[in-house]
Amino acid sequence: MVTSKRADRRTAFLLIAPTMLVLLVVNIYPFLYALYISAHTFTLGRPTPPRFIGLSNYRDLLDDDRFINSLWVSFKFVTIAVVVEFLLGFALAFLFNARLGGLAILRKLAILPIMVMPLASGLVWFYILNENFGAMNWFAVLLGATQRVRFLTDDSLAILSLVLADAWQWTPFVMLVMFAALQSIPEYVYEAAKMDGLGQWQTFWRVTLPLLSSAIWVVLVLRVVDAFRMIELIYLMTRGGPGGATETLSWYIYSTGFLDQDLGSAAAEAVVMIIVVTIVAQIFVRRLRYGEAT
Amino acid sequence: MATTKEARLRSSGNLRRGTFAIYLAVCLFVGFGLFPLYMMITTSLKTDLQTFEWPPVWIFTPTFQSYHNALFVFGGRSADHYLLNSIVVTLSSSALAVFLGAMAAYGLARFRFSGNRDIAFYILSTRFAPPVGFIVPIYLMVQRSGLLDSQLALIIVYTSMNLSFVTWILRGFFLEIPIEIEEAALVDGYTRWQVFLRVALPLVKPGLAATVILSAIFSWNEFLFASILAPGDAATIPVYLAGFSASMNIDWGEYMAVGTMAVLPIMIFTLALQRHLVRGLTFGAVR
Repeated sequence: MVTSKRADRRTAFLLIAPTMLVLLVVNIYPFLYALYISAHTFTLGRPTPPRFIGLSNYRDLLDDDRFINSLWVSFKFVTIAVVVEFLLGFALAFLFNARLGGLAILRKLAILPIMVMPLASGLVWFYILNENFGAMNWFAVLLGATQRVRFLTDDSLAILSLVLADAWQWTPFVMLVMFAALQSIPEYVYEAAKMDGLGQWQTFWRVTLPLLSSAIWVVLVLRVVDAFRMIELIYLMTRGGPGGATETLSWYIYSTGFLDQDLGSAAAEAVVMIIVVTIVAQIFVRRLRYGEAT
Repeated sequence: MATTKEARLRSSGNLRRGTFAIYLAVCLFVGFGLFPLYMMITTSLKTDLQTFEWPPVWIFTPTFQSYHNALFVFGGRSADHYLLNSIVVTLSSSALAVFLGAMAAYGLARFRFSGNRDIAFYILSTRFAPPVGFIVPIYLMVQRSGLLDSQLALIIVYTSMNLSFVTWILRGFFLEIPIEIEEAALVDGYTRWQVFLRVALPLVKPGLAATVILSAIFSWNEFLFASILAPGDAATIPVYLAGFSASMNIDWGEYMAVGTMAVLPIMIFTLALQRHLVRGLTFGAVR
């Protein structure tokens, strides 16, 4: 504002300080504390004081097959889920963008899954995919399956079942954001493309897609980060099984820390995870920052 | 003549087929989206036996027995205790987050000082912090301060997690208000705080509504911190729900009844939010 005096600076400080204080307590300090814990042996509920062991916890991670496996499972889950959600949601956004009656109401119904408590969605999918009485098996029999499909206990199917439940919740989110981005493209852009003699495909590749690019980035980064941290569906549907087939990094940290009660190792894993997420998130933040500067 | 007419007929046939295909795809998608919700609600209305019958029972006489069991039958605490916990934690943490976040957002949007943008982007970046990465240190901090199994611990953690997007979204809203309105108020003798409370805040009401609702949804749905920090008496509804899955004989009807009660209030919120949903969910990057 025009008046930039010392009083103003004090007001600004008083306005921002409470938020920074909360974030200091719940974000910055815990991160430093995680670094500290990760350099110690630290067992939950045992009276022995933590002992400094330097980088041992990190070195152990390199030899830990379960840790390596969890990175691979996370990578698989995030990739499959985000690709499925993005392609479906993107295509559906175009369909919902058609000028046809009734689509507005259908759109409102379509986005309902976004707000469902993830744990409740895990619960319903756990029920639907049940081997013995689940509705999905009923459909499978209807479509000619000769024996029960083991959606949650088969080595290769289990992770796809998680993707199914995740995509159920988040494909509507991709659709919603891409739809809003499509709506924000003014009509004259398409008219100009038509006058320049661009065909439908050319218009899509050379006009529509570039205009959607920032929305696409935002959606992809949000989905990658959130799929990476997802834990509720695993908690309810597979608990990392069968045989580690759905043990993602998030689940592994949770189970090392609070099921095996080995906080030191869990903290080392957590630090690795925070670093990975920070790198991905920087893509998002950089883009927003770049967008604001211009 | 005949050929053009034929071509027009053919293209209108294509158009009709195209329209039909769009409706078909969209309805399949909506049906897929609604099916699990349908299963949850109908299962909550079945009798105990019907919930795990094979083949699944599609037509039945609804009963409210499961709701009755969840709410009124004694045997430990009933669902209403945990629903109440959820309501307390949700209301406090979203009110706090929006109040503090609005202050910070206004400070960031309206005052120039060095590091302003760095602070704004730092606050945004906390949205990406993976909760499971912070759970170990936060657990130990809460344990040390004797706040395990208390609503206060959850309220503080949720407030901080909501602050990132609340601050960011409201900063966008404040930046959109023409500055002249506030300058005029200053000339009229308002203090800075009065300008903030009486002039600026009322102008961003839609933003406040959107952030309150998004914070409420987040706090209501959060499971990970709740399960670790408040596993007992202070447990919120997702933790209570998770407890069912640990028992050997799952009471599906009651399980789904609690699930339905946990999910329906949020659905109603969602419908109210529609207009600002995208802006809120993407930090104003997409409107």
